[in-house]
Amino acid sequence: MSTSCGNPETEQDALMTRRTKFDKTKTCVKCKESRGNIVIRHAVYCKSCFFPLISTRFRKTLGPTINNKRGNKGANARGGRIKGLMQAPGSLVIGHSGGLGSTVLLDLVAKSYFYRSSTLSGQLPEDSLSLGSEHPRNRARGEGDSGDVWKGTPAVCYVEVASVIPGAKERTEEVRAAVKAYSDPTTGFEIDFIPLRLEDAFDEGWWKTIGGTDLKQGARDLGIDINDEALPTLRQGSNIPTTPLQSLHTYLSSLPTPTAIHSAISSLIRVLLLFTAASRDASHLLLGTSLTSLSMNMISGIAQGAGFAMVSEGLEEAWIGKNDQNISIVRPLRDIGIKESAFWAWWSNLPVPGRDRYPSSVSSVPLGSETAASRVAVKQNQKLTSIDVLTQDFIMGLEKDFPSTVSTIARTLAKVTTKEKGVSGGCVVCQKPAQPDVQAWKASISIRSYHDEAFVKSKHPLPPHFTSPPDAGVSAASSPTNGLAPRLCYSCHTTFTSRSSRGIASANEVVVPLPVWVKASLPRSSEDTTVPESKDLQTGSNEDVAQAELWETKKLSRGSIKDKIGAFLLDDAGDE
Amino acid sequence: MAGAETSSVTIKVEFSGGLELLFSNQRSHTLTLPAAVPTDNATTVPVPSTIEATKPADITYLIHYLRDHLLQERAELFEENGTVRPGILVLINDTDWELEGEGDYVVKEGDEVVFISTLHGG
Ligand SMILES: [Zn+2]
Ligand SMILES: [Zn+2]
Repeated sequence: MSTSCGNPETEQDALMTRRTKFDKTKTCVKCKESRGNIVIRHAVYCKSCFFPLISTRFRKTLGPTINNKRGNKGANARGGRIKGLMQAPGSLVIGHSGGLGSTVLLDLVAKSYFYRSSTLSGQLPEDSLSLGSEHPRNRARGEGDSGDVWKGTPAVCYVEVASVIPGAKERTEEVRAAVKAYSDPTTGFEIDFIPLRLEDAFDEGWWKTIGGTDLKQGARDLGIDINDEALPTLRQGSNIPTTPLQSLHTYLSSLPTPTAIHSAISSLIRVLLLFTAASRDASHLLLGTSLTSLSMNMISGIAQGAGFAMVSEGLEEAWIGKNDQNISIVRPLRDIGIKESAFWAWWSNLPVPGRDRYPSSVSSVPLGSETAASRVAVKQNQKLTSIDVLTQDFIMGLEKDFPSTVSTIARTLAKVTTKEKGVSGGCVVCQKPAQPDVQAWKASISIRSYHDEAFVKSKHPLPPHFTSPPDAGVSAASSPTNGLAPRLCYSCHTTFTSRSSRGIASANEVVVPLPVWVKASLPRSSEDTTVPESKDLQTGSNEDVAQAELWETKKLSRGSIKDKIGAFLLDDAGDE
Repeated sequence: MAGAETSSVTIKVEFSGGLELLFSNQRSHTLTLPAAVPTDNATTVPVPSTIEATKPADITYLIHYLRDHLLQERAELFEENGTVRPGILVLINDTDWELEGEGDYVVKEGDEVVFISTLHGG
């Protein structure tokens, strides 16, 4: 092919021509001796150099977060522990999805910080150098010891989602077995296993076991009306869901789009994990999000308008609960791709319990009790594609042909988020940072109705098929302070209210049930027993609202958001 | 027939990461492939003697063969455009197939080929 002019290299980049899969030779770039076994973003590594490479990357991410209050003195340059200095202020909880990332995360944590089970040690790579002084192989360990680094017994929490996925198998016991493989009978070392179910989000019993504040009588049967953008809280009528499972199904099946259902499930899981971590006085909640998944989350997050939340996803998030409890949410695999994770699991012989894709539609009737007809409807609905599913296909294709690009997306995200360390939760549903007054913000950045002030001001003509502005519906009339809307992030607000032409028919008359933590955060009425049935109940006085604010919110100006997006668009994080 | 030893190749194939569910829920398979196969990767067994354009059996042929003969359901989760679907990793004798020429790698007697799905990661 001949190109008459121009820089061929630039043109190649512009056309995204497929590069060869590896640079130069098949010899390992690290030891420069052995024949390579894996290509990681064009670099070739042999099997014995691969293990220290990955565990170092892992500890470089996790290590510096461990005693963040006292600076990073506990970690050496490679993220390893300087003896006696690495000491977390609380306990450790690992969120396990059953998937590959979580499986590898648990393995890396156990091998780097805990006692190695004798049943696993046979498959361990010879990695003593990189394991460094923190490696406990030769040290006696007491019961319930999380490697001296974290307080108390470490725990793995798994949230079972099978109850909302038709045909999915329960994996709780497989994850339990995977966790148990790390216990060591000779020292008594064990990792606690905490099995939860997605429906626990609607279970007052679960809320009590983790020490949640009592639900007030009036809050117990409150739900929201998602046909009104202000999301007013209302008493649930006569057909109140009687079990947490029914509430979960009503909640998910009421959501307007497949994408909304998908994000709602992720969000519920995240908050279940957070409150579980809080109940164990955890200082760290670790998630197995890989570099690849991070890129996926970022792209689908942008597509769903989760700007603020997206910012928190990359590096570390700090979630500040009651009593100033500070939990760092860390994703120690954020520099490790899904390919490396798969090779780690394969070469270490780790059983991966597996996970199902979250559904794009949920039947309003819990599984098992549905009719044949409704099962068919569910099957058909599953053909509706959520943004997350599309993004996964996109990123997987990209990773196959352009692996560096996927890494660049995630690294860019990490760069963006560095500026936003330690933002605490704000949204009452997902607990993520929220911009104040989401409705006003939405109104200022988008045109959702031809009655909107922004549209009227713009003096744009109406589309040709309208002779006069179509009816605005209920939303325009709602005051922004009336209802749940002001206390939600943009993403959650969109989850409840976005309409899609391909949307699943929303259950119009149903008052949507709320997760227990949302109910617990509703303003308390002065007399629990005589709650009025009107909307005034939830609004309360400003003082009530302030009192009920459980989580601190950091406000960001739109200017600072614009800067962040600017950084995303212009910078390229090419440092590999 | 003369030369029977060289007219076929026996290899071991393993599936992991959930891919085994598409292959009778069996992780490990031993396969015997014809040593010379049609260049268009048609997987009729035995290879019709009328076929003139042949090539040594390679990974691309193996992918077609697995799709046509061993796969039980949902071919789109395994194969796409003549190769594995994005998100599926391949190891040849414990080495990333990207170092071995991917689909063009010619299978040899006793080779071990592993297919790992990463589609349900995270
Ligand atoms: Zn090496
Ligand atoms: Zn939210």
